[in-house]
Amino acid sequence: MIEKDAVSPPIDILLVEDNPGDVRLTKEALKEGKVYNNLHWAKDGVEALEFLRREGIYAKAPRPDIILLDLNLPKKDGREVLSVIKNDDKLKHIPVVVLTTSKAEEDVLRSYELHANCYVTKPVDLEKFIVVVQSIDRFWLTVVTLPPGKG
Amino acid sequence: MFRRSSTASVETPGKPGGLNRKVWATNAPVWIANVAEEPTLKRREAALQAGLRSAFAFSILVRGEFYGVMEFFSRDIRPRDERVLEIAQTVAHQIGQFIARNHAEAALRVANEQLTRKAQELTRSNAELEQFAYVASHDLQEPLRMISSYTQLILRRYGDRLDSDAREFMDFVVDGATRMKQLIEDLLAYSRVGTHGKEFERTDCEAVLQKARANLRAAIETHGAVITQDPLPTLEADDTQLVQLFQNLLGNAIKFRGSKAPTIHISAQEHGPTWLFGVEDKGIGIDPQYFERIFMVFQRLHNKAEYPGTGIGLAICKKVVDRHGGRIWVESKPDQGSKFCFTLPKKREIHS
Repeated sequence: MIEKDAVSPPIDILLVEDNPGDVRLTKEALKEGKVYNNLHWAKDGVEALEFLRREGIYAKAPRPDIILLDLNLPKKDGREVLSVIKNDDKLKHIPVVVLTTSKAEEDVLRSYELHANCYVTKPVDLEKFIVVVQSIDRFWLTVVTLPPGKG
Repeated sequence: MFRRSSTASVETPGKPGGLNRKVWATNAPVWIANVAEEPTLKRREAALQAGLRSAFAFSILVRGEFYGVMEFFSRDIRPRDERVLEIAQTVAHQIGQFIARNHAEAALRVANEQLTRKAQELTRSNAELEQFAYVASHDLQEPLRMISSYTQLILRRYGDRLDSDAREFMDFVVDGATRMKQLIEDLLAYSRVGTHGKEFERTDCEAVLQKARANLRAAIETHGAVITQDPLPTLEADDTQLVQLFQNLLGNAIKFRGSKAPTIHISAQEHGPTWLFGVEDKGIGIDPQYFERIFMVFQRLHNKAEYPGTGIGLAICKKVVDRHGGRIWVESKPDQGSKFCFTLPKKREIHS
């Protein structure tokens, strides 16, 4: 386990997920991990983009260090959100982890074509889910060196 | 004037009087050399007023059935002329054939349109059904994950506060959800045979078998399976699906081996435009009454403790073989072994 430097600021994670059960589960999994984080939740694609563009109630929203994105979302689905993020110069450097139930080849392929940074299938098993969330957390937030300067 | 009286009178075949009735009744050409001397002719007065003096008429038959009468009038009195009648007969024959052909073509066109429409409907409803299975499988996964994850979370957090009954009940919930997940994934795999098939390409069945064997390596080694084979052909197929086909059949032969180490033979024989394959084992065999049922989705012959599995393997095999335009069946005797046979055409022939 990599120890977190006590003085480093908390990591901001934007979770784009319509299922409250999954949000809570992700929170629980992160809680068991060692990374100190602020989890922000957008319940659909429109909210996610408002958060990222700091519109309306999100005027003071921080720029997330990483985005966990579900594919099947109401209003604007994950593929559209991904496409918008990766075509926006201000946003495209933020790593996007597609975290979804779908194992379908076309979903995987499409996500990478839209420049998702990685694609992870949500395991049905809780232990595995916790491991997956913590691995994402650990890899992207402590192993990888992310672009400097939080906007 | 005469034309008006002709077209206005609707004549009933079989009654004496009209020219066409005569033709119909005798089924022979009629020649009237002098209209004036033909008192039975119904339109005699009208014809004479119009200056028409002689007439002849003959029938048109379509496929041997009376179809109509053609009438010709002349302004001169003309004696019966066999040559004219002969030409007229020939013309009548040609017209009859022409009409028959037109009818046949029209009927064919209608039949073709119906067939095309039916085929389109079938393709659409098949696609809808497969899309439905696919979407249902995906959307069913979500709530299932919630059930199993939160049950596990309760066990994890509060397990020490639950008594043994409560923990047992929770285990059943997790087990149920896990099996449900497997069923959904299998259903998804089954529907993918139809929705996610590749174009057919030249496929070397030797390579296919090697891949299937590699995928089953753990099972083959664990049970010391001995697999022999005939030389296998190259044919036009979806190689991924053929791997699945061989892998499922080999996997079954190993799984249902009985008490001995499995010995399996894979055969291939050329039969005209198709190849006949066989996957033969010396395992536990199958009662003939189940020969059809085993190829249906989720049909199982054993309880889960004896032989785990959802019962999708052979249904997928059948769907793969169907898509390739072949047939699959089983020959088996209980306690002596089973031989799964399937045919695959050599040439491309997509059946969706």
